[in-house]
Amino acid sequence: MGDWEWPLILFTVLGQIAIGIILMLWYLDREVDQLDAKLFKQGVLVSGVLLALALLASLFHLGHPEAAYRSLAHLSSSWLSREILFFLLTFLAWIYLFWQSRHLTIIRTLGPGATPITTAEIAAGKQQSANHSLGLGITSILGLLGIASSAMIYVLPRVPAWNNVGPVLFFLLTTGLLGALVTLVLGGKLLQTVQKKRLLQWSLGCTILSLLLYVVYGSMLNGSAEGTASLNFLLNSPLFWIRALVGWLAPLLLLVSILKKPQLDKTTLILTVTLLAVLGEVLGRALFYLSATGIHITALF
Amino acid sequence: MTKQLGFLHNSEKCVGCRGCEMACKNEYQIEATPQWRKVFQLREDDFSLPTRMFFSMACNHCANPECLRVCPVEAYTKRDDGIVIHDPNRCIGCRLCTMACPYDRPQFNPAKKKVEKCNLCYQRIDNGEKPACVAACIPGALELVEINASLDQKTGVLKTLPGLPSPKITTPSIRFIGPLQGQQIRRD
Repeated sequence: MGDWEWPLILFTVLGQIAIGIILMLWYLDREVDQLDAKLFKQGVLVSGVLLALALLASLFHLGHPEAAYRSLAHLSSSWLSREILFFLLTFLAWIYLFWQSRHLTIIRTLGPGATPITTAEIAAGKQQSANHSLGLGITSILGLLGIASSAMIYVLPRVPAWNNVGPVLFFLLTTGLLGALVTLVLGGKLLQTVQKKRLLQWSLGCTILSLLLYVVYGSMLNGSAEGTASLNFLLNSPLFWIRALVGWLAPLLLLVSILKKPQLDKTTLILTVTLLAVLGEVLGRALFYLSATGIHITALF
Repeated sequence: MTKQLGFLHNSEKCVGCRGCEMACKNEYQIEATPQWRKVFQLREDDFSLPTRMFFSMACNHCANPECLRVCPVEAYTKRDDGIVIHDPNRCIGCRLCTMACPYDRPQFNPAKKKVEKCNLCYQRIDNGEKPACVAACIPGALELVEINASLDQKTGVLKTLPGLPSPKITTPSIRFIGPLQGQQIRRD
């Protein structure tokens, strides 16, 4: 069985929230109405802080963090090298987004000032909007590639519980679920009703998919002795049942209630469901590492 | 790669003295925790008749080494003679190779915070000497051999033993001569 890999749990979950926020900002900007400038600025800032914390946490997993730069050396076959490359590129794209978010505020505050807005200023505003949409898109795609690479690290023939599409789907669903919920919390009153509804529906979809995927994943684990050991560990662990309760059942019920009853006080409920979902995903990630059973020598020694 | 060097272990000759383990530790002054080479006892009930046999295993210098594939810093290289070398100067202690190897042979050294493993005494081989473990094996159970088709065609040479991971995962460069089964005599 595996260990409590706190640096890896923090790195993966925080990194996935960070990229999830950018992905949701991009989604709202493209699919629904114009994104509020303040939300864009807040979202980009929080995402960057979380991404920086995630990268920092990942260093604590290494025996020699001072030599972490070398991890880019084996891009030809190592998914860990590719993960680091994509995360660094995501961070560079984020710096561009951050610069844009600062620049955007200046134009918007100058625009409705005493002097009337000129045609040139309107054109500049449109250009900026197109630029930040492009920035969000590039950051999201690079981030998603980073997350897929993170997941591929664990697709090892030695570990039957990981040697499948499960890790990639789990990591992407965490990104979608927590990204949408944290954006909802950050957005608050800055989000329009239709934007809130889309994010709530997205969160509900991710929760249902995550639950269904886990049922399918669990049923597939019985194919080998090591997979069965992983499944038995999960089913006998109180942590798994706490994860099921706070990470799947409670968010599911709360999200359905929020969507069905618009008169409910959404702010508190959204914060509650976000905290529960974060706790559920952290426990889920801990169990991901703890339940890993590798094929090994079973002779006596 | 022009050839593939590896080990041939004869479980019939091995007495489980762990001299190979000690020779390895002595040669490289390895600290207590990492065990580059380890002697395992085969399960008595894995054979048709109860038997007490051993096998000795270090890095298997696999034809498809998972450690080499997953390492992000290129600390692993495979020589022309098939030996998989780990360079501790490049290692950053991410431990991914320890997760990927089904034989648990790359070992994390908590004192150095780096991974270590058997490099098949390549410096001794280059000088025409035997690896320390092979040289120290009193009953001659451990041999350095070239892994090829003619070896695999010999009678009694096995690619795996009960209790070992499937060789399909990494194609390890180790062959075994399994224990001979005892004779059971019925007295009426």
